[in-house]
Amino acid sequence: MKVIINSKEYQGLPGETLMELAKRNNVDIPNLCHKDGIEGQGRCRLCMVEVREGKKTKIVSSCVYPIRDGLEVVTNSEKIIAIRKNIILLLLLKTPNNDYIKSLAEEYGVKAPDRYVDYKVKENCILCGLCVKACEKMGTSAISLINRGTTKKVSTPYDDPSKDCIGCGACAEVCPTNAITMTDKNRIRTIWNKEFKLVKCSVCGKTFTTDEALQFIESKLGKKEERICDSCRKKIISEKFKESFKYF
Amino acid sequence: MKIDNSIDYNQLSNILNKYKQEKRFTLAILQDIQTEFNYIPKEAVFHLAEYLNIPVSEIYSMATFYKALSLTPKGKHIIKVCNGTACHIRGSNILIDEIKDLLKIKPGETTADGLFSLEIVNCLGACALAPVMVIDNKYYGAMTKEKIMEVINEYKEAAYD
Repeated sequence: MKVIINSKEYQGLPGETLMELAKRNNVDIPNLCHKDGIEGQGRCRLCMVEVREGKKTKIVSSCVYPIRDGLEVVTNSEKIIAIRKNIILLLLLKTPNNDYIKSLAEEYGVKAPDRYVDYKVKENCILCGLCVKACEKMGTSAISLINRGTTKKVSTPYDDPSKDCIGCGACAEVCPTNAITMTDKNRIRTIWNKEFKLVKCSVCGKTFTTDEALQFIESKLGKKEERICDSCRKKIISEKFKESFKYF
Repeated sequence: MKIDNSIDYNQLSNILNKYKQEKRFTLAILQDIQTEFNYIPKEAVFHLAEYLNIPVSEIYSMATFYKALSLTPKGKHIIKVCNGTACHIRGSNILIDEIKDLLKIKPGETTADGLFSLEIVNCLGACALAPVMVIDNKYYGAMTKEKIMEVINEYKEAAYD
């Protein structure tokens, strides 16, 4: 499958979306609500691109647009840049103090008119819903988008500590604007109004996850997991790898 | 009248037993719970999640999204004041202010005695009756400040007799 992006030809794989193809080939399409491994949501609208079909063009969100043979795409036409600027401006008005949105605005030369901006606003969430999706993928679904309209927000049911939350921190990890506060202090992790005891890695002794998260993984796997952090695990695996390829 | 926060589980299981344990019935069940209890009790949310085997967060998300569902107990009588274009022009705001003064509640709230809830709606499709007010599916057309007092007192008398 051949797809032309910005007049360069790329080989697409069946079932891919435009965003996936672009990412694979290092074509820059700005986005906020997309993360590898999580299907596109089409929520932040920042990944809009122009698709040419004969004489007509149309504007689509690349994170949910499936590719097909002979597709012609432009990611940085004047029209697209104008749309992006507009979206960034709206995001900037919602979260005027967020570092990432501010850097985006700077990159695109977007300035919010002073009379519209309330610099006191401490909001960081742009309601992209990536955290909700990540939590769902984890299999916990502890958080969701609640209310609607201007009062919409991400939270646990009734804003209470959720019994479903395992404190894995996936939501904070995927958040594009760092809107979710997770603090690790004195071997206690606090997230979504709930406190978790952190577990130490049996190799390096650093805290790396919570008791609840480990139990959750063990219940899914049906077997005991060793308490080893990611980097130590990588080390062990690469050691094993080295060993098995010693005689090649 | 006192607002009772504990719920009758028999009543709840009667509703649940009418439906199969499938996710697609979530909204229908929530609507039934709303009519039965006049609101969506917290216990019912958790109970329903268990019954349908879906996350609590999903049900909570749904319950907070739809305006027809309420997480706080609604009053015995629900006063809906139309604020559609026709009613707005014919002075529905005066009606709303009058009710606010009379019952000491804002739109979306319930009186302390649990008798009335006030809601603002956007067109009831009865513009010829503007400004229109609905209490428990009974329509009161061409309302004025004076008429409102009468109607509300009627309901109050009926409740306290």
